[in-house]
Amino acid sequence: MPLIGPFALAFALLLAFYSVLANVIGARRRLSALVVSGRHALWAMSAMITVAIVVLWSSLLHSDFTLHYVASYSSLTLPPIYKFTALWGGQQGSLLLWTWLLSVFSSIVAWQNRRRNPEITPYALAVLAVLAIFFLGMLNFVTRPFDLVARVPGDGQDLNPLLQNYWMAIHPPSLYTGYVSASVPFAFGAAALITGKLDDSWIRTTRRWAIFSWFFLTLGNLFGARWAYEVLGWGGYWAWDPVENAAFMPWLVMTAYLHSVMIQERKDMLKVWNLALIGLAFELTLFGTFLTRSGVISSVHSFTQSGLGPYFLTFLAIVASAYTALLVGRLKMLRTPAEFESYLSREAAFLFNNLVLVGIAFAVFWGTIFPVISEAVRGVKITVGPPFFDKVNGPLALLLIFLMGVGPLIAWRRSTARNLLRTFAAPLLIGLGTGLCVALAGLHQWYVLTAFSLAAFVLGTILAEFRHGVTARRHLVGESSARAMVNLVAKNNRRYGGYVIHLGVVLAFVGIVASSFFRLEVKRSVRQGDSIDVGPYELVYLGTRSSMDPHVESLQARIEVMRDGRPLAVMLPAKLFYARQQQPATVVALRSTPLHDLYVVFAGVDEATGQATFQVFLTPLVFWLWAGGLIMALGTVIVMWPNVRERAAIAAVVRAGDEAALEAQMAPGGE
Amino acid sequence: MNKKYKFVVGVALMTAAIAYLIVAAVRTTSEYYLTVNEAQQRRTELAGQMVRVAGRVAPGNITWDAASLTLAFSIVQPPQATQTGVQKVAINDVAPASFRVIARGQPKPDMFAVGRDVIVEGRLGADGTIEARQVLTSCPSKYSPEKTS
Repeated sequence: MPLIGPFALAFALLLAFYSVLANVIGARRRLSALVVSGRHALWAMSAMITVAIVVLWSSLLHSDFTLHYVASYSSLTLPPIYKFTALWGGQQGSLLLWTWLLSVFSSIVAWQNRRRNPEITPYALAVLAVLAIFFLGMLNFVTRPFDLVARVPGDGQDLNPLLQNYWMAIHPPSLYTGYVSASVPFAFGAAALITGKLDDSWIRTTRRWAIFSWFFLTLGNLFGARWAYEVLGWGGYWAWDPVENAAFMPWLVMTAYLHSVMIQERKDMLKVWNLALIGLAFELTLFGTFLTRSGVISSVHSFTQSGLGPYFLTFLAIVASAYTALLVGRLKMLRTPAEFESYLSREAAFLFNNLVLVGIAFAVFWGTIFPVISEAVRGVKITVGPPFFDKVNGPLALLLIFLMGVGPLIAWRRSTARNLLRTFAAPLLIGLGTGLCVALAGLHQWYVLTAFSLAAFVLGTILAEFRHGVTARRHLVGESSARAMVNLVAKNNRRYGGYVIHLGVVLAFVGIVASSFFRLEVKRSVRQGDSIDVGPYELVYLGTRSSMDPHVESLQARIEVMRDGRPLAVMLPAKLFYARQQQPATVVALRSTPLHDLYVVFAGVDEATGQATFQVFLTPLVFWLWAGGLIMALGTVIVMWPNVRERAAIAAVVRAGDEAALEAQMAPGGE
Repeated sequence: MNKKYKFVVGVALMTAAIAYLIVAAVRTTSEYYLTVNEAQQRRTELAGQMVRVAGRVAPGNITWDAASLTLAFSIVQPPQATQTGVQKVAINDVAPASFRVIARGQPKPDMFAVGRDVIVEGRLGADGTIEARQVLTSCPSKYSPEKTS
C-alpha cells in the first residue's frame, strides 16, 4: 500500500509540469482547449497528491513501521488522534500537507475562474503550478515521505510529547492554510503583471482568498500563542522566537495589504504598493518555511539542518527576483494620476497604517536575522532578544491602535476641523476619561496609560459608528434597535465586520499590555497542607497522586484554591513522563477568569524532604487576548460572508472582462 | 507636485522614526551569541556582560534543587563531526573549554538532559560561571517540534 505514495507524487509532478506548459502556451496561442486541459491537469495533480496524503495517513493510523516517517514520528501506544496529527509532526509529512493544501486551493481557484477572468486565470494557474512543482520536487527528490526503513522496528520512536496536545492538532493546519492560501492572491497579482491587465480585477477576484488567508494566519498565530501558554509552562504566550516571528511577519504584511487594497478599489491609488505587498506577503511565507527548516537561526523549537534550507533560499530568491523584475517592468503602466491631498484624510491614515505595519514587519525581520547579519558584517554573532522587539514594536503598536481609531471614520480626501471635531470629540473624551481613571487607580507607567486611553478611544469610535448606523436605520426604515443592528451588519458586512475585527484587536491589545506589565509570579516549595499566597488567592497543597499507563506516567499535584477563606476550586498541575521518548513534560493547571488567570506549574517533589515546588503566575486580563482573537475571527467571518450587492458588482466586472477578452480574441494579431 | 512633496516628507519622517527605533533598540538590547569555544576565547573581555552561549550539557556534576529551583551544570563545546564522520579531537588543548552554569528560580526544563544542546542566556562571571536567566533546550538530531512550520 505505501508503495503507491511515491508513484502518486511522481505522477503529480509530471502533471504540474504539463499544467504550466498547457496554461502558458494555451493562453499565448489562444488555444482554449489547451487551457482547459491545463486546468484538468491541475485537478488530476490534486487527485494524485490526495492519494499520497491518504496513503501516509493510513500508514500512520495502521502503524506501518516499514515507512521511515511512521517509525520516526509515531508509536503503537500513541493515541489515534495523534497518529492522525503526526502527519505534520515531522518535516516530510508537513511538506506533504502544505503541497496538498496548495493543490486543493489551486483546484478551487481553477473551478471558480473556469469562465471568469479568461485573460489572467491561465497565468495565475501556471504560477500556482510552478509553486507546486517546487514542493513536489522536494517531496520527490529531497525529503521523501515514503522512504522505507532498512530494518522494520517493533515500535516507532513516538511523536514529540510537546506535540501531543490538542492545540497541536489545530495550530499547524491553520497556519499552513493561511500560508498556502496567500499564494492565490500572489498568483493573480503575478498574472496581472505578466499579462499587463493591471486594473483591480486581480484584487477583486482574490479579495476573499486574501481575507481567508488572513483569517487562518490570525487563528494560526493565536493557536500557536495559546499552545505556548498552555503547554510550555512559562506563564507567557509569546517569546519573539524566530519560529513565532516567521508566522507573524506574513500576518502583518497581509494586514497591510487588506487595508491598502481598499484605497486602490476606492481611489485607484497605491497600485504598485499593493502588488509589492502581496509579493512580500507570499515571499515571507516562503521565508518562514526557510527559517524554520534551515538551521540558520537557532530557535527554541530547534530545527537541525535538514538540508532544505538552500533549496528554499534559492527558490525564494528566484521568486522574489522574477516578481520584482515583472513589477519594475510594469511601473510605467501602473502610474496613476490620483494623489494624496491632505494628511487629514482616510487615504493618509491608511497610508501610515501601512507604513507602521510594514515597519513592524521589518523590525521583526531585522531582529530575527540579526545574528546572521552581525556575523557576516562583524564576524561575531550578536543576538537581540525579546526586549528588542518590545522596545521597537511597543511604540509602533500605539501608533497603529491610534490609526485604527482614526482611519475608518475620517473623511476621504480631506477633513475640515469641524467634521473632525464632530466625529472624534466623543471618542476622544472617552479615551481621556479612561486615561484619567487608570491614572487615579494608581497605574502610572506612561505606556500603560497611553495604551489604555487609546484602546478606549478606539472603542469609542467603534461604538459611535454602530450607534450612528443604528440610529439612522431606526429613523429611515423604522426598525427596532436590535433589528437595525442586525440589518446594519448584514447589509454592510465588509464595513461592520471590519469594526468587529477592530474591536477584537483592541481587546487583544489590552490583554497583551496588561499581561506584559502586571504579571505576578510566585515560586515556593511547600509541604503537604501548607499554602501559597498569590494575589487574592490562597493555594493549599494537598498532596500528589501518581498514575501509569503504557504510553505515559503522570505525577499529579492537588491544590485547593481558596479566596477569603472559602474554597473555590481544585487545580491539578502535573508532571508527565513519556516512556518511548524518555522525556518529561509539564501539564499546566489553569483557572481563567475575565479579570485574571491563575496559572500553576508543578516543578516537582523533593524525595528527601517531601517538599513540592510550584511556580504560580497571576496574569491580569490575559483572558481578553484570547477573547479578542476569537472576536477578530468572528469579524473576519462576517466580512467573508457572501453579500448580494457585492456579487452583482463582481458579475458586472466579470461580464465586462469577458467582453474585453472577446474583443481581444477577435482582434487580428493578438497581444 | 507640491502635495506629492509634502507626502514624501511625511513618509520619509515615518521611515526615519522606525529606523531610529530599530537602531536604538539594537544598541541597548544586543548580546553576544557564542559557542563555548568562542566564549572561552573572549572570557576576560566578556566578564560581567550578558551573553548567550550555545553548548552541550556535560555529564556529571549536575545538581537540581527543587526547593530553591536551582539547576547547576556544565556546558562544553559539542564535538564537530568532520566530513568522514570522525570526531575532531583537539590534541593541543589541555583542558577543553567548559562553563559552569547556574540557573536559579525556574523549573528544570522538560527537555533538559545530559548530551542535549542548550542555549544559556545570562551574565558571565569573572570566574567563568554563567548566572543564567534562561536555559533554552533543544532537541538533538531530529527535525522536531515545530510550531510553525
